[in-house]
Amino acid sequence: MRVAVNFKINGRDRTAHVEPRTSLLDVIREDLGLIGTKEGCGKGECGACTVIMDGDAVPSCLILAAGVEGKEIITIEGIGENGRLHPLQEAFVRYHASQCGFCSPGMILTAKAFLNRNPNPSEAEVRDVMMSNLCRCTGYEKIVEAIMAVANGEVA
Amino acid sequence: MDAHFKPEHYHRPVDMKTASALLAQRGARVIAGGTDLLVNGPASTESLVDINGLGLSYIREDDGLRIGSTTSFSYLLRSPLLERYPYRVIADAAGELGHHNLRHVATVGGNICNAVPSADAPVALIALDAAVIIHGPSGERTVPLDGFFKFVRETILGEGEFLKEIAVPVQPESGACFQKLGRTKVDIALVNAACRLSIIDGLISDSRIVLGAVYPTPLRVRAAEDMLNGKEFTVELVAKTAIIASDATKPISDHRASAEYRREISSVLVKRAIIKAYGRAEGSP
Repeated sequence: MRVAVNFKINGRDRTAHVEPRTSLLDVIREDLGLIGTKEGCGKGECGACTVIMDGDAVPSCLILAAGVEGKEIITIEGIGENGRLHPLQEAFVRYHASQCGFCSPGMILTAKAFLNRNPNPSEAEVRDVMMSNLCRCTGYEKIVEAIMAVANGEVA
Repeated sequence: MDAHFKPEHYHRPVDMKTASALLAQRGARVIAGGTDLLVNGPASTESLVDINGLGLSYIREDDGLRIGSTTSFSYLLRSPLLERYPYRVIADAAGELGHHNLRHVATVGGNICNAVPSADAPVALIALDAAVIIHGPSGERTVPLDGFFKFVRETILGEGEFLKEIAVPVQPESGACFQKLGRTKVDIALVNAACRLSIIDGLISDSRIVLGAVYPTPLRVRAAEDMLNGKEFTVELVAKTAIIASDATKPISDHRASAEYRREISSVLVKRAIIKAYGRAEGSP
């Protein structure tokens, strides 16, 4: 059985025909070719597959594609504007917050959704939220610095 | 991902009668948030019945609180209703569950119905005498949450039944607190505990003590409650009560912790929960 599902991704209306078990992550990577979204653990623990859905950052490996009818999804490909990097991307570059880069899309989307709801967070709040995403290279300091720089308006 | 979890069919009913009819079919399983099912989905699953279309994502005041089963933990955490004591204990547990992004997806109903001993929400809700409203082919029934669990991953849900709503009764003037210890902040509980109590004329009254992850089901320890009730709050009383509570546990040893450690921690968390619940009953944050 395949299920037809309509949703919006990065501002564009799309329809996918999915098996009941297909994850949103698989649709994003395999069907739509948006490979900026990564698969890490496949269990919702590492955050590499994070996308923004209806304003909240979620692990797309644990979202059933069949259930995203009518949802609005944003992936890392959808956050820059007019060919310019999003401020969080800019800050990740400036603060050397990426090494291998595998976790960066998820990190940036978690931070983006969070800052949209909480424009003036404390560093402790940022650290708490960023527990949703694992990085095996940087040790998190640079990542937190980059996010705080955006929160404080130092990178726009 | 479990390679054997391969449901053939997906349904998204928009009314509860249809949902129950679909769930009565062989191999049918509810999916709500999916955060457990997509990791540990059983091979016997033939069809998924997505209950997110039933309008069950809400928290409202109605003779206490009513919480729809598909309400996500972050939705709960945004509710000002949970800032009031002792409902605050629900927010305590919701805020400790998984990580920030997982809480956008995981639902309170899923946390209950998976019936995993380490689940956080049931422990907090049982401390508030919550009941669950179950929808089935022949209508609805209401049962105390404390009687909902049969064993590890086993509940009283019958054929075609699903959890519709959690009803938290109007609370006496009281304080409540949830405590959890995990290997890391985002890991499941090694042990969790909740306490609710009132203070009447300087004496503890109407207390609840509940533990999780130390028994096949959430464990309410009435002997520990009896120890507290009618007495003045003292450090010795709290210590004695905590020992009674930890003596009632039957924890397992696994890769996360030994049974011995879990029993030890049970008494520590019960102590902390009582002390904080008492403080909250007196008005501290």
